[in-house]
Amino acid sequence: MGSLVKIILIGIIIFFIIFPIFILFKYSISDKDSVVTGGKYPEPFWPFNPNFKMFESLSVRGDFLYSGMVSLEVGLLTVIFCLFLGVPTAYALARFKIPGVGVLLFFLLSIRLFPDISAVIPVAEQFFKPPFSYLPPLVLVALAHTLLSLPYTIYIAEGVFESIPKDLEEQSQVLGASRAYSFLRILTPLALPGLGAAAIYTFLLSWNEFVFAYFLLFQGTESTLPVYLLRILTWSPQKNFIAAISLLICIPVIIFTFAVQRYMRTGLTAGAVK
Amino acid sequence: MLKKIKKYSTWEKLKDNLFIIGITVPSFLYLFAFLVIVLFYLFKFSFGEGLPILSVFSEGEFRKALFRTFWFMLVGTPLQLVVGIILALLVYESFKGVGLVRSLFLVPIAIPALVTAVILNLLFSYPFGHINDLFLGKHFFFPKIFTAPLNFSGSEFFSISLAMLGKVWRDMPIAMLIILAGLQTIEKEGYEAAQIMGASFWQRFKYITLPLLTPAISTVLILRSIENWKEFIFPFIVAPAYPLLGVLIERLYHVEQNPQLACACALWLVIFIGASVFLFTFLTKAVRTYLVKV
Repeated sequence: MGSLVKIILIGIIIFFIIFPIFILFKYSISDKDSVVTGGKYPEPFWPFNPNFKMFESLSVRGDFLYSGMVSLEVGLLTVIFCLFLGVPTAYALARFKIPGVGVLLFFLLSIRLFPDISAVIPVAEQFFKPPFSYLPPLVLVALAHTLLSLPYTIYIAEGVFESIPKDLEEQSQVLGASRAYSFLRILTPLALPGLGAAAIYTFLLSWNEFVFAYFLLFQGTESTLPVYLLRILTWSPQKNFIAAISLLICIPVIIFTFAVQRYMRTGLTAGAVK
Repeated sequence: MLKKIKKYSTWEKLKDNLFIIGITVPSFLYLFAFLVIVLFYLFKFSFGEGLPILSVFSEGEFRKALFRTFWFMLVGTPLQLVVGIILALLVYESFKGVGLVRSLFLVPIAIPALVTAVILNLLFSYPFGHINDLFLGKHFFFPKIFTAPLNFSGSEFFSISLAMLGKVWRDMPIAMLIILAGLQTIEKEGYEAAQIMGASFWQRFKYITLPLLTPAISTVLILRSIENWKEFIFPFIVAPAYPLLGVLIERLYHVEQNPQLACACALWLVIFIGASVFLFTFLTKAVRTYLVKV
């Protein structure tokens, strides 16, 4: 392929990737005059009098901040559940000769292929019934998010444990440590960076997740940030207000995604090519 | 003495196995419990009073949604594959700045689907939005194509296409990564030999890359077709007036308060996904044997 054609193609694609994000950013810092034009002149691609008024007003908006807190709590709860359930399992899968581990991992990941929208109604029906309905809605959402991200957590953590040599544990056990002790004091510190990536991945999944949060919080007043954004949309507010909220939801995702990119790639393409 | 040692070791073995079971079982139990819940309710409601699983077909809305979803899947899947192949080919060979370009190509995956849908709504808003302004010729650098602003969300064709555009934009890095992983398994010697013999870029692509890439391509096709069948967020935000199956399920549950019909829809969605996976697997296998001639 000619290198000029290649450069032009890359340029066009990068434009199509960056343009929507730029527009979002543009709207969020736009002055009211450049959003509500009344059709007199086209909406400019560059805002007149850019300012941070939208972000300032959002920073003192109670319901927005509260939704942010809810999102944060749900995310952290999900991370805790996932790590507690998933890390020991991943350790067992990586360390002990369990027949058919590959198949097991494949089935674990393929759980995510089940349509969320089909799974959400049974889960909601069950969660609205007594033993579960006594729990606060936040915990219910976190439990549902744990269902979604547990396979990934196990998968990523399994890879992390597999990369740590088995000898270290064996040595500690020769010196008289129990399995649990060598797991906690020898292996966990070594695995922490990789497990951190798994935790971030889990958190992002929960932060982005919309379907389960929407169905489980539909009747209540609390909402995670994506659900809050949807509730805002029904009032058809000004474009710069929507854009500012959307951008604030994106920012942590963009930052952390690139932090854990290396781990995400293996997760995304897992089982792609044999 | 010997007996004692043996006894000790079996006890140790049991303890070991108990430890393994103890740390493995909870997470699998958790996932399994949800599987049971999901299947239980899907079947209980679908085969409940009046057999909603059959009566759902008499709803006109369901047939329309099924039709739309089918087209969404049938057009969107190859589209994502082609975009993924193009992106992967562009960043496959290393050049100066390839790392940066690859990272930029991965940006869409970092934007939540809901936000992407919201951006689409902002861009294509009616009557005053960037795309309408552009096509109405309000900017000096673009020719006038429309005579009146177009209400994208009011037209079935445009609103579903927009949802598809959002889906393709958001998920193109995934297709790209899978294809890229497939490309990297192809050995360079074949290309070099072909190049020496004077094969053009297109010939190399058609006779070397494409046949060797079929495993990756079939993975993309199968995974993406599943994703397209079950797509919810984009049509929900961008094309609410023309529901796909996912949106219909939400509507039946929340607006019409009919969990029975909603579950019947949901079960059908699972069945269609299973059938299409089966079909795609079969098709790609046939294509592969045709191309590679093994």
